[in-house]
Amino acid sequence: MKINISRQHIYLLSISIFLLIFVLVFSFAVLIPKGKQYREDRVELKKELRELRKYQDFHAQTEEKLQELESKNRHIITAFDAIFNPDRFEKQHRSYFSSLKLSQIKGIGLEENFVVYEVNTSSQISSPKSFYNFLDAVNKSDWIIGVNFPIDFKRDGELIRSSFTMKVYCNNKDKNTTQLKETKPEEK
Amino acid sequence: MKYSYIKPRAKSAITSEIKLLVSFFSMTLVMLFLTYGFLLYKDYTFMSDKAAYAQERDNLATVIEQMKEEISYIEKQNLLSQKIYTQNTVLKDSITNLFDLVPQRITLSEAKLMKNGLILYGITPNKEVYSFMLQAPLRSIFHKTYSSFYPAENGWLHFVSTNYIDEEDNLLDMEDEDEN
Repeated sequence: MKINISRQHIYLLSISIFLLIFVLVFSFAVLIPKGKQYREDRVELKKELRELRKYQDFHAQTEEKLQELESKNRHIITAFDAIFNPDRFEKQHRSYFSSLKLSQIKGIGLEENFVVYEVNTSSQISSPKSFYNFLDAVNKSDWIIGVNFPIDFKRDGELIRSSFTMKVYCNNKDKNTTQLKETKPEEK
Repeated sequence: MKYSYIKPRAKSAITSEIKLLVSFFSMTLVMLFLTYGFLLYKDYTFMSDKAAYAQERDNLATVIEQMKEEISYIEKQNLLSQKIYTQNTVLKDSITNLFDLVPQRITLSEAKLMKNGLILYGITPNKEVYSFMLQAPLRSIFHKTYSSFYPAENGWLHFVSTNYIDEEDNLLDMEDEDEN
């Protein structure tokens, strides 16, 4: 049996087969793996995006918490930042005493990572009530001050002579420690 | 002599079948390459987006870490300040209680408040008034109480009352209270 195919048809068939093979090879060897990778990458990117959203949400929450804390504790934060000024302290609290004198401002080291310096105070008060008012006012002052033992009250005519120690707490920063060193030899 | 009624035309290799085939395959190939191009472009954008997300996430993580440190520092400041304020308030209450403790008939000339003790100097009409009205309440507060007297010019008695809290006993008392 003789198959009679024209040359034209042979060309046509060869081109078709060649192109078909090319399309198939390109599809299976390149396009389909690339498509699979695209799908995987898309899923991974979505995962990354979800992770990023989590971070963004957490960032927003943390920022909100920080701002809330800062606004609630504004007085405390500025008080810890403030450098103790004996003149200003005297001016602010003189009204509770008949006389008020601060002496021996010296750094005594770190307490709970905060710089602490000690101020010796001698004063005269007309009644213990003035001292109670002073203790209330100290909690609202521009610095974080703890009135410390020993406290001595001594009758002096109509007045009471009192002497006590105060501990002033500051942030442990280079800026503050430098100024503390500068204040150290100062005596009021 | 003619064998055909139509005029002979020039034969071309590009026949209509070939044209059809080429156009079909060219469309197919264009679509394939376009898809491949699209995938390549997406691959590039995915990579760059991924890098950008990672960068942003790292930045956020750093900022969050900084904010956490700030939060913990503010909380620490808050805790310490509350502790100091409470100490001041407790001190105020202690001094108030001390002065309330002293009866009208006894006059104090000096009071020394220490961390674990109290020394009182004063004048009393007699030892009994001192013992009942001042020493008894002091004994209930302090673990050790010592008193000494010497006569005053007006016939009254000067006294020095030294009172101490035993730190160890105090700690034991606190532990007992906690257990109860």
